[in-house]
Amino acid sequence: MAKSVFEKVWDSHIVEELPGNNYLVFMDQIVAHEITTPQGAIEIDEKFGGNLYASERIIAINDHVSPAKDTATAIQAKVLRDWAKKHNVKIFDIGNNGICHVVAPERGYVQPGMTLCCGDSHTGTNGAFGAFALGIGTTAQAGAMLAQCLILNKPKTFKIQIDGKLPLYVYAKDVILAIIGKMTFRGATGYVLEYSGSTIESMSMEERMTMCNMSIEAGATSGMVSPDKTTVDYLWGKEVITKDKNEFEKLKNKWTSFATDKDSKYDKEITLDGNSLKPKVTWGTNPGEVIDIDGEIPSDADEKSLEYMGLKKGQKLYGLPMDQAFIGSCTNSRISDLREAAKILKGKKVSIPTIITPGSQAVKRQAEREGLHDIFQDAGVLWTHSSCGPCLGMSMGVVAPESRCISSTNRNFPGRMGTGSRPHLTSPAVVAASAIAGVITHPKDI
Amino acid sequence: MLISGKILPLDRSNIDTDQIIPARYLTGITKTGYGVHLLEDVPGTPINNPKYKDAAVLLTKENFGCGSSREHAVWAIMDKGFKAVIASSFARIFEENCYNNGLVPVKLKSEEVEKLFKQSNCEIDVINQVVKLESGEIFKFELDPLKKEFILKGGFLKYMESKVSLVKTWEKTAS
Repeated sequence: MAKSVFEKVWDSHIVEELPGNNYLVFMDQIVAHEITTPQGAIEIDEKFGGNLYASERIIAINDHVSPAKDTATAIQAKVLRDWAKKHNVKIFDIGNNGICHVVAPERGYVQPGMTLCCGDSHTGTNGAFGAFALGIGTTAQAGAMLAQCLILNKPKTFKIQIDGKLPLYVYAKDVILAIIGKMTFRGATGYVLEYSGSTIESMSMEERMTMCNMSIEAGATSGMVSPDKTTVDYLWGKEVITKDKNEFEKLKNKWTSFATDKDSKYDKEITLDGNSLKPKVTWGTNPGEVIDIDGEIPSDADEKSLEYMGLKKGQKLYGLPMDQAFIGSCTNSRISDLREAAKILKGKKVSIPTIITPGSQAVKRQAEREGLHDIFQDAGVLWTHSSCGPCLGMSMGVVAPESRCISSTNRNFPGRMGTGSRPHLTSPAVVAASAIAGVITHPKDI
Repeated sequence: MLISGKILPLDRSNIDTDQIIPARYLTGITKTGYGVHLLEDVPGTPINNPKYKDAAVLLTKENFGCGSSREHAVWAIMDKGFKAVIASSFARIFEENCYNNGLVPVKLKSEEVEKLFKQSNCEIDVINQVVKLESGEIFKFELDPLKKEFILKGGFLKYMESKVSLVKTWEKTAS
């Protein structure tokens, strides 16, 4: 029987069928960060003798507030650091770290056919590799550290077929925002999404990661892309991948065996025309409340969202004044994102406070090798070290109440980027253009 | 297991975990102390209204607990004294976090949720999976048969620990 990439990965990781629609599912890789790991790690140490199932299957990353901003966050980082040392868990720390969903893939920890979990909802990012990767809570993560498994309901499958060539200044971010807008903010609850079609096939791994990253924003358990040559080429040369060509060839055969079979069946399917997409910007308080950059806020817009955002039905976003701009987060902070922003910012000046935060220290170094940091700083942008930063309102550029921030991040919930903050989510290119103009602007108009 | 008490109504859908407990308070290494900031970023939050003091049941609409995976959302709700959340739907990770901590996730039909918004108290019989209104009306709800045990008796991590030898055997045959 023809199987999709999800079904192949799922079937090869079932340890036991449990009562209900529950399964004990083996996890190949656990990624742990300083905000959601300490409570579970401490519980295992105190009540379960510190017995981790396989410390070599865990990596730890100080990422959300790194370096620490105060004593409390310093303690979180220290707990993770000390725990990793005690249990011989590989840790990525100050100077060698970055956002976990950027660091794990760029080092080669995520490979086709794997299962991966992390106490972070954007873990679906890693599904871009044809891995089944999902966000979980602290206690479920502790369970995975004890038994290397999760208890999961079997998700249903949802194919999203996108064909066509994306127009200039339309990016993976616009595609995923269009999808979330179409299926609504909770339309994919209980499903694993598979992005397929010619638009996805021609995307780089970084673009695919942007797509999969925001699957959770449609409520999905995860998002995946079937592994192909792009996936294999990306993994060659990565830090933890073999440098032996024969060994790599074997891995390649194993990885590609997880590719979706032709004629695979899905519980649900939708299609999208990539040719006709425009840049997207959110107007509301969840990522599904999104319109084309030149569109109007719909007449059936949610009143509570409008009130929070200080907007009206029928209002255009184009030309709306912004107070702040931010490029960063696990959605859009990789080198290709920074290159697109640099193309627009080159030789220009920003007119509002603008922060660019690379997704990892490795991305930062690459950007600096290419001179992007000079372009940004010549434009008046604050170029920072890597962290999650203001995406979740924890540090490094928290947005003031009623202030609008044009942002390349993933969430626009009330209070997300700071109490009363008003984020407008969009692509790094639209952020860069809007930072120059001081109002929401299409990059073509710069 | 009976939960009986006042209802705190949150008449909105899509309340995400950032609104339940903002990220700026996620700087602890324990599971306690988050209750004082519960729901403080919800526009027009009813959390400090004296009318709802000591409420035991949080009542809301669709997609409650969406967004971030932070278990702190469940810890904050429990820290404030709530024993159950009633909603017409939950986000996946939040619901799982409820089971793992013993907070009862009660999923009801939209029309039943609407009726509850007109009530100030209710009783939840967890074992028999029913919500009782003061009028005597009863709404049934589903709980995951396996994870219900974690609510009633706790022990999720002990359960996982009990699987270790099985997993080790599986791993040998799988590789």
